[in-house]
Amino acid sequence: MVTASLDDVMVGSTVRVQDVSGGDAVAIRLLEMGVTPGVEVRLVGKAPFGDPLELELRGYRLSIRRQEAARVAIGDR
Amino acid sequence: MRPAMTPGSLTVALLGNPNVGKSTLFTALAGIPTRVGNYPGVTVEEKIGRFTHHGQAIDLVDLPGTYSLVPQSPDERVAVDVLRGAFAGVPRPDCILVVADATNLARNLFLATQALEVGLPVVVALSLADVADRRGLRIDVPELSRRLGCPVVRFAAPTGEGVGRIRDLVLTASSGQPPRPLDLERSPAPDGRPPAAIDAIARYVAIERLLEGVTGAVRVETTAEDRIDALLTHPVWGTLIFAGVMLGMFAAIFWLAPPLMDLISSFMDGLSALVARMLPEGAVRSLVVDGILAGVSSTAVFVPQIALLFLFVALLEGCGYLARAAFLMDRLLVGVGLSGKSFIPLLSSFACAIPGIMAARTIESRRDRLLTILVAPLMSCSARLPVYLLLCGAFVPDRAAGVPWLPLKAAVLAGLYALGVVVAAAVAWVLSRTLFRGPQQPFVMELPGWRWPRAGVVFERSREAAWSFLGNAGTLIVALSIVLWALGHYPKPAVLPAGGGEVADVRGEALRQSFLGRAGRLVEPLVKPLGWDWRIGCAALASFPAREVVLATLGVIYNLGDVDTESADGATALERRLKSARWDGTDRPVFTLPVALSIMVFFALCAQCASTLVVIGRETGSWIWPAVTFAYMTALAWLGAFVVFQAGTWLGW
Repeated sequence: MVTASLDDVMVGSTVRVQDVSGGDAVAIRLLEMGVTPGVEVRLVGKAPFGDPLELELRGYRLSIRRQEAARVAIGDR
Repeated sequence: MRPAMTPGSLTVALLGNPNVGKSTLFTALAGIPTRVGNYPGVTVEEKIGRFTHHGQAIDLVDLPGTYSLVPQSPDERVAVDVLRGAFAGVPRPDCILVVADATNLARNLFLATQALEVGLPVVVALSLADVADRRGLRIDVPELSRRLGCPVVRFAAPTGEGVGRIRDLVLTASSGQPPRPLDLERSPAPDGRPPAAIDAIARYVAIERLLEGVTGAVRVETTAEDRIDALLTHPVWGTLIFAGVMLGMFAAIFWLAPPLMDLISSFMDGLSALVARMLPEGAVRSLVVDGILAGVSSTAVFVPQIALLFLFVALLEGCGYLARAAFLMDRLLVGVGLSGKSFIPLLSSFACAIPGIMAARTIESRRDRLLTILVAPLMSCSARLPVYLLLCGAFVPDRAAGVPWLPLKAAVLAGLYALGVVVAAAVAWVLSRTLFRGPQQPFVMELPGWRWPRAGVVFERSREAAWSFLGNAGTLIVALSIVLWALGHYPKPAVLPAGGGEVADVRGEALRQSFLGRAGRLVEPLVKPLGWDWRIGCAALASFPAREVVLATLGVIYNLGDVDTESADGATALERRLKSARWDGTDRPVFTLPVALSIMVFFALCAQCASTLVVIGRETGSWIWPAVTFAYMTALAWLGAFVVFQAGTWLGW
């Protein structure tokens, strides 16, 4: 089964984070910003060219590029 | 020299995420900072304020906004180093005052709980407590304080709630014991994750447990704020509103600043005239009027643009739109190696590169910031416009450019603006793949909640920007202006034109005989391939202080005297004189269409603006970057002018 990642969810949907892959600066920053396993994330919208994404999690809004979102594995809520 | 702190004073470090009201608390506690500058060696702003409480002097050190005490960038390292006492000139703090956004507690407690591990006493201020109340977020402050093991105070800027308590607590905590760190259950790393990642996961688990029963569940429903956000980040409406806001901001700087700049210029002109009357004719008068006062004047005229731009930036930042602007523009800029945050600095560089370069302070990533600063001077600023207008008006023929509704003059003008943008994009693209190569900086940016900007913070930001420009860059610009005055006035000509001649002839001869004039002759072989005679080369050299000077210098060098090229009469006189200029000893006109185009392209791309270079040096904390900017821009300008002149001549324009 192919695991879904945060860059291919529909606008408006809420998903649960399973994991953030890798151990580099990007992964650490995502974890520090609260994108940790188990947290619920809603895709609020996308910028004009479909990138970057606007997310809502832990009661605040976060913007990340698709490239970073691809590192976040998700499951159903 | 960096002044030492007062002996016997306490040092309190102000720590917090970006956009949580840290500046607001700083102003509420200490008022206007007593010291603003850069931390040595890094491009991070250092801000220190002072207040006295119960007879005890307290120095408040504002740390750069950071999300974590595990530093990833040099900028973030500053916060960690100051807390460790590893920064010269800043003593190890006696206490950490953590600012945590009450409306976004979980994410903010990440940094706060890291602060508990530093080994210093900690006080937590819950900022935006009033906004949290309005949203119905209940926080059990005493319980939160008990669980964290350190004092927690609500802070609300509009009412001043909590400011007195924070002063009390900071004073008592400074002599107390550091708190006990939070217990984290760090799972062992089966997949080889770095400690920072394991720590982050464990910390959020601990924070979730800590907040259970302290805060009510976060309400998930559409508020007015959400609707505003949906509109402003909408692909169509959001982009249109964005274009409107940016256009409005740019127009305001472009139209509001000139009257203020004129006011400063006429004041300085009056002062110069007054001084000229008081001093006897001679070298001293020339030094004071043409060297020192001209330098002060050319520094002071930038202040309105800087103050206005920072007023707008602070307004946009204060209400939360700055991050949305970066969000909307990111995709356009990321392709050439920049980021969405480069947009406002680059846009404002069309008015003037100096405020633009200073606005790059809002870019946290050092790499993106440097890249933005390096290409910002390529945007055609308002100082290039008079050069374009005069040369286009005089030498570009009055006919349509292909289509009947487009005059050729307008097409050339638009082309010059486009040239700057295209070259900037190309330079950014190349630099991001060569000199600045490396893993791309993560773009993980908080979109802060919408709120009303605080007038105090907005004006303070604007005042601070203007002041730091005058204090840091201003003195250097004046010094440079004096050096250039000397180069343009010495050595004095040994022989003046027969019979003394007209004043204009004497001025012309004096310039031609000066170091600058001689340098002009020296560079003649270099500028000949551009179609220039040595006089144009000399005027280009003389325009190093500022591009618009080239017109005045052309006036002097062609024996027109000191023409006011900003007045219509002065411009027409200069136009006529340029049209009648001939190559030495021939009747071949110097100024043809290819030559005019070559001069304009040169001025579109060159770095002939001493003030910009000084500001780049100040903002980057190194003289390498202005040198790099000057070198690459001059090379590109020469190349561009060469291609245009040779192609134009070959095509028989």
